[in-house]
Amino acid sequence: MSPARSLVLLVGIVAAAGAVILAGLTIGVRPLKPDLLPAVLFAPDGRIDSILVWSLRLPRSIAAFVGGAGLATAGFILQAITRNPLAGPGLTGTTAGAVMPIAACFVFLPWLSSVYYPFVGMAGGLAAASVTFWIARGGDGRSLHLALGGISVSLFLTAVTTFIILRSGPQASSLLFWLAGGFQGRSWSHLAYMLPWAVLGLAGALAFQRVLGLMGLSEQSAAAMGLRLAFWRPALLFCAVLPVAGIAPVAGPVAFVGLASPHIARLLRPPGPGWTVLLSAAIGGLMVVTADVAGRSIAAPREIPVGILTAMLGGPVFIYLIQRRATLPGSAS
Amino acid sequence: MTAAGRPWVVAGMAAFAALSLILAVFLGVVDIPPADIAAALLGDGSPQARSIILDIRLPRIVTGMLAGIHFAVAGLLLQTMTRNPLADPSVLGVSQGATLAVTLFLLLTVYVHNPGPNAQVEMPLAWLPPVGMVGGVLAGAAIYLLALRRDLGPLRLTLCGVAIGAFLHAIAIGLIAGWGTARLEILLEWLAGSLYARSWDHAVFLAPFTAAGLVLLAVLRRPIDLLRFEAGGARSFGLPYRRYFTAVLCLACALAASAVGVVGPLVFVGLVVPHLARFLAGRNAGLILPLTITLGAVVVTLADLAGRLIGGAEEIPIGVVMAICGVPLLVVLLRRMP
Repeated sequence: MSPARSLVLLVGIVAAAGAVILAGLTIGVRPLKPDLLPAVLFAPDGRIDSILVWSLRLPRSIAAFVGGAGLATAGFILQAITRNPLAGPGLTGTTAGAVMPIAACFVFLPWLSSVYYPFVGMAGGLAAASVTFWIARGGDGRSLHLALGGISVSLFLTAVTTFIILRSGPQASSLLFWLAGGFQGRSWSHLAYMLPWAVLGLAGALAFQRVLGLMGLSEQSAAAMGLRLAFWRPALLFCAVLPVAGIAPVAGPVAFVGLASPHIARLLRPPGPGWTVLLSAAIGGLMVVTADVAGRSIAAPREIPVGILTAMLGGPVFIYLIQRRATLPGSAS
Repeated sequence: MTAAGRPWVVAGMAAFAALSLILAVFLGVVDIPPADIAAALLGDGSPQARSIILDIRLPRIVTGMLAGIHFAVAGLLLQTMTRNPLADPSVLGVSQGATLAVTLFLLLTVYVHNPGPNAQVEMPLAWLPPVGMVGGVLAGAAIYLLALRRDLGPLRLTLCGVAIGAFLHAIAIGLIAGWGTARLEILLEWLAGSLYARSWDHAVFLAPFTAAGLVLLAVLRRPIDLLRFEAGGARSFGLPYRRYFTAVLCLACALAASAVGVVGPLVFVGLVVPHLARFLAGRNAGLILPLTITLGAVVVTLADLAGRLIGGAEEIPIGVVMAICGVPLLVVLLRRMP
């Protein structure tokens, strides 16, 4: 695909996400007439419609887009570093590290306000990522060390989470609901909390796109091209950890997006790693926004967790794209 | 470790396996004098010891060992074929398909039968193995057929597996999260892996698959070795790639699917035990398979024992014990591995 077509595609995907957000503003338990939307958006007054749109629907939709884009970026970086198609944002242990302390606070420290959960989760996520980092010996180990180290940390923390759920009794189903990921009730402050991390991750991936492309080939060829792996691998790993550590505590572990979006982007055959990063982020954002809007409208007034719908809506698309290609691109490019 | 040290590893592993088996039989929540246990094993001893050892402890140990072998071997085969160190039976959708089938089954039995609160708990457990197996096999078949329509390559198989697996898992989690009745606990216990109240029926259910699987493993040894390579490389050794790829895939799917309904999806065994075996085997590739089989059995036995002893009346699921005790060990190995 030429850069021009990639640009058109990128703009198209972002526009589609924007359209879904706009359509989502009118959908809900209290529907809004589409012709009233411009007035509510550009001249908000104190009435119920503007409050619904401005303080509930708009922030959560934008948060969903940012969350999806950030997770997809992290997934892309990790797939490139480990050259493993099964790598996803959870590979560094960050997601499990963010989820475990939040689940523990939810069950054992009910007096702790949920306002602090993002900070608790971020601390846990970063701690777990540092353990993974230690196991993988920073930049020195093989990528197998990183993959297995991250998986071990995740397995450990997930087991602790399972134990907490089993001990939580009647709270189990609300915990499970949260564990499926979602943006219910996420406000501007949540968005402000995740946005910098997601932007940092994306900016890092774009700035180091050449390095990512080389790493995706093989370690030897990257080293042969004069790349200092001992510096770049930890740097890229850091770029991958940041968005997950910012997003997972707010949105919960949203499954599938971070794993599938980079593959979908690669299946579209963009011309270089920079385009792949941008397309992955846009696809991830679109996927989560769609899942979020669908999740709050299908079974309204009940909510379906976003993580469930990302897989149910994104899965078929993913399979269609896989099956369209006679040969599959590797984790490079 | 040097090649000369290998027989030592084998002997040590065998002794370790025997030791863990003995510990699992002789230790438990109910204190029985060792002499009484030995007598019960020889067909003698007090009635209490006989019923506890022969009807409760032995069947769950045997079931656990067989299931551990199934998961470990399935994981090893899938890691070999997909050439991906992160592969495990969930790549074939086995765990997720079984989870969905078991969830649906428990959900349906609640509404269709709806007997008294006590009658419910007994009935489904007997049905879980076949239900889980059907779910796992169906998911595996769907993924295989999708990959078969194109090139049946490892990457396509992996990606289709990820997509189908995530799809099925999402439906299951959606049902669980939107459901939330008392039956949730059975499901959560099963999901975390449990050998609680497993009887000889379960062991008998697994045994034919284990036997057939081990025989097939012996028969397919050389093709399995060759499946490590790219399709072209394997063909150049004279391997009909597609046929053997399919055969080994079926073997892995059957092993994992038959075990998943019985004990739940034990991710740790399928994913980590093959790596442990590889560390221990070092350069001696011939040892990997025997070590995987032994370790699969030992890990589950020890985890079950620990879960029984630590948790007391409220047992801790094996999956939780394995991850919490096994991961530090794996981390130490990873730090030592060059």
